[in-house]
Amino acid sequence: MTAAIATLVIGVILGYLGQRSRMCFVGGIRDFILVRDTYLLRGLIAFGLTAWLAFPILGLFTGSRPGPFASSDVITILLTVAGGFGVGYFSTLANGCPFRQHVLASQGVKSSMAYLVGFLAGAVLFHGVIERLVLRFLP
Amino acid sequence: MAITAAPATRSSWKRAGPIRVTALQLGIVSGVLAVLAGTFFDVRPPEAYGICMACHARDLLNWTVNRTAGTHLTVAPVSLVFPVLTTIGVLLGALLGSTSSKEFRWSSPDNSLKTFFYGALVMNSALLAGGCSIRLLLRSAAGEVLGLMGFAGMAAGVILGTFWLRWRATR
Repeated sequence: MTAAIATLVIGVILGYLGQRSRMCFVGGIRDFILVRDTYLLRGLIAFGLTAWLAFPILGLFTGSRPGPFASSDVITILLTVAGGFGVGYFSTLANGCPFRQHVLASQGVKSSMAYLVGFLAGAVLFHGVIERLVLRFLP
Repeated sequence: MAITAAPATRSSWKRAGPIRVTALQLGIVSGVLAVLAGTFFDVRPPEAYGICMACHARDLLNWTVNRTAGTHLTVAPVSLVFPVLTTIGVLLGALLGSTSSKEFRWSSPDNSLKTFFYGALVMNSALLAGGCSIRLLLRSAAGEVLGLMGFAGMAAGVILGTFWLRWRATR
């Protein structure tokens, strides 16, 4: 229950700030390539650096650090890289990362609402079909 | 499709108007919040799960289906008892931001059927990689090599997608 309330509050904060700043986590790289605009790229780098510093600093208070992570084999690495590639490629074509699409849907953009419906349908498809296919055809 | 970067509006804001936030500020705030969620607010296991639009949406959907239909669909361990609500929160927060700044207006800049399929493709890729663009970076920041590889794949995808968009626009 703690996790649910915490994520709800964090979501509201991020949604509000994301609406005010038009933040997009794939748009930074895209804008830099297209028009050499670093506005969104700075947000992406700031997120990574802040989290990288915050993990050990906040870990001092609780004595816990993230990890250990499960050892990964070649198949897992290939699936992760391929999945990551798909996330980047299709998000660029869809004109925004999932976070940006949620924000746009709350601004009344109907195509982003359709995106969110497809997002949930994709989860059903993944757990119903794709995941089983991957498990069957890979060792 | 509009792919140009909308420059920040430099118009003068009214004193009582909505606050201005830059992407840099959001990056810092979200980085701290994502780590706080995992460290202090029990958003774990799995590790580095503080913010993820794809996994949290999946958890919420599958938990609801499990509860109503009695199925056993996959949910992350943290969402077994009650699901994480990041997606609901982001929708509510953005609605608060857009209505308070009078930026809410109905529009449809893209073909809805096309974005529907893009949504399904992004969700499938994200669940395959174990995180959306935000969580892939969060996993890298937590020191997971696999997450860094996924993020590198994502960056490659964005670069290729951008060149594809530019090629199509200038053809």
